[in-house]
Amino acid sequence: MHIERLPRPPGQPLAMLRLMQLVSPALPIGGFTYSQGLEYAVEAGWVRDPESLRDWLLGLLDDSVAGLDIPVLARLYAACACGDCDAIRNWGDILLASRETFELRQEERQRARALTRLLVDLDFVEARRWREGLELCQAAPFALAASRWGVPLMDACLGYAWSWLENMVAAAIKLVPLGQTDGQRLELVLAEAIPAAVTRGLRLEDDELGGSAPAMALASSLHETQYTRLFRS
Amino acid sequence: MAASSEPVASGWSARLELGFQVGPGRTVLAHRERRGPLAVQRPFYPEGEVCHVYLLHPPGGVVGGDQLHTEVELAPDSRALLTAPGATKFYRSAGAVASQEQRFHVGDGASLEWLPHENILFPGARVRSQTRVELQGNARLALWEIYCLGRPVIGEAFSEGSLQTGLQLWRDGRPLLLERLRVDAQQRQRGSILAGRAVTATALFSHAGEAELALARDCIAETGPGLAAATLVDDLLLLRYLGDSTEKARALFTQTWAALRPRLFGRPAVAPRIWST
Repeated sequence: MHIERLPRPPGQPLAMLRLMQLVSPALPIGGFTYSQGLEYAVEAGWVRDPESLRDWLLGLLDDSVAGLDIPVLARLYAACACGDCDAIRNWGDILLASRETFELRQEERQRARALTRLLVDLDFVEARRWREGLELCQAAPFALAASRWGVPLMDACLGYAWSWLENMVAAAIKLVPLGQTDGQRLELVLAEAIPAAVTRGLRLEDDELGGSAPAMALASSLHETQYTRLFRS
Repeated sequence: MAASSEPVASGWSARLELGFQVGPGRTVLAHRERRGPLAVQRPFYPEGEVCHVYLLHPPGGVVGGDQLHTEVELAPDSRALLTAPGATKFYRSAGAVASQEQRFHVGDGASLEWLPHENILFPGARVRSQTRVELQGNARLALWEIYCLGRPVIGEAFSEGSLQTGLQLWRDGRPLLLERLRVDAQQRQRGSILAGRAVTATALFSHAGEAELALARDCIAETGPGLAAATLVDDLLLLRYLGDSTEKARALFTQTWAALRPRLFGRPAVAPRIWST
């Protein structure tokens, strides 16, 4: 099969590679230091095996990821595309205010600052200009990079959700603990739920988006006083 | 989400508006307007200047299609404590959603304490409940919300039905806390959402710091491991309970409120008499 027989719109193959770079675990933003309450959930026995982990993550995927992260990411993407820095700031405020605990907000800000700094160092002019708004939530600099690199919105959302999943499974492998193969198996299964979650999230109107995961919020709050901690959240 | 596709509401459409203002020596209920079966008793003053008001919910509970709307405005520097004599009950619905919407506007320097009883959802109830608080300037707030899915006391699970809640807190047009809980049969069971528990509850206190966080954690220690937690986001103290007992949730919240009130509201906690009846 000759590659020229499979025409693609110009730019698309490169955009896909850019997305892979953006969601790569090697991206130097300290991604794998957060567990979003999972560390407490494991200690308390709420998450103890692949099945309970799958259940924990599916709940979050259906709720916070589909209900909050994805629709806000889409709005930030649009705001970045048209250079609306007020909208970037407003949606950043909304995403941050939707994080339910001290550690979840701290994580959001730390990730946002790290990725924004990286984009500044990679000479994104807007990263410097919109810095204050971009540093509110990680989805903002993510949206900026995706829109400037020509990554289609749907792909950017899939990549963002995938990156969340990979991060959580990596944390679980250390915490539960799980074998590497168990982790891969879980990623196979959970990834199948991502496209529908993203599609659902993209359909939400402004007054419908948002999330709340009470058990995860409890775990995240209790993590603040957990005696031994490997993770920052 | 569901609103546009729901059957046309055929139940009560009740509306209550309250307006508090600073009068001579105390806060007065200067504006009161009602339509339908939402009402308030005459305000009273068990502790001087703070205006205490009991909100009365529709007798016999709320059914699908009912719409309850409460709008409360506190003028700058006014002080009000609102509570209710009993739980709000939402009954099984044939399809229509029961809607409860509560909005509070709290002026600069005013303080609002909104300390209601729990919302009880009978199996099969379909409920949307929205609470939005808009603080201005230096307004103070203590608020809690308790939802009970099914009736755990008699072993009756919330095996069908749905709940969507929105809790929004804004100050001067910027969001401080936004929560939207969506519960259906599946999400109710998920370990990260309700973990099969019947009671989910949140309390929040503005103007808090590390000392108040420590006090709240002392109160939590008596609730039992893994059922409640406190966290401090900026100056907002958030207390959450997830378990099977509305009594425990209320005990935790009232105890924490009693511990924090002198520090945050500058007066000792006087439990509304109605709580003990």
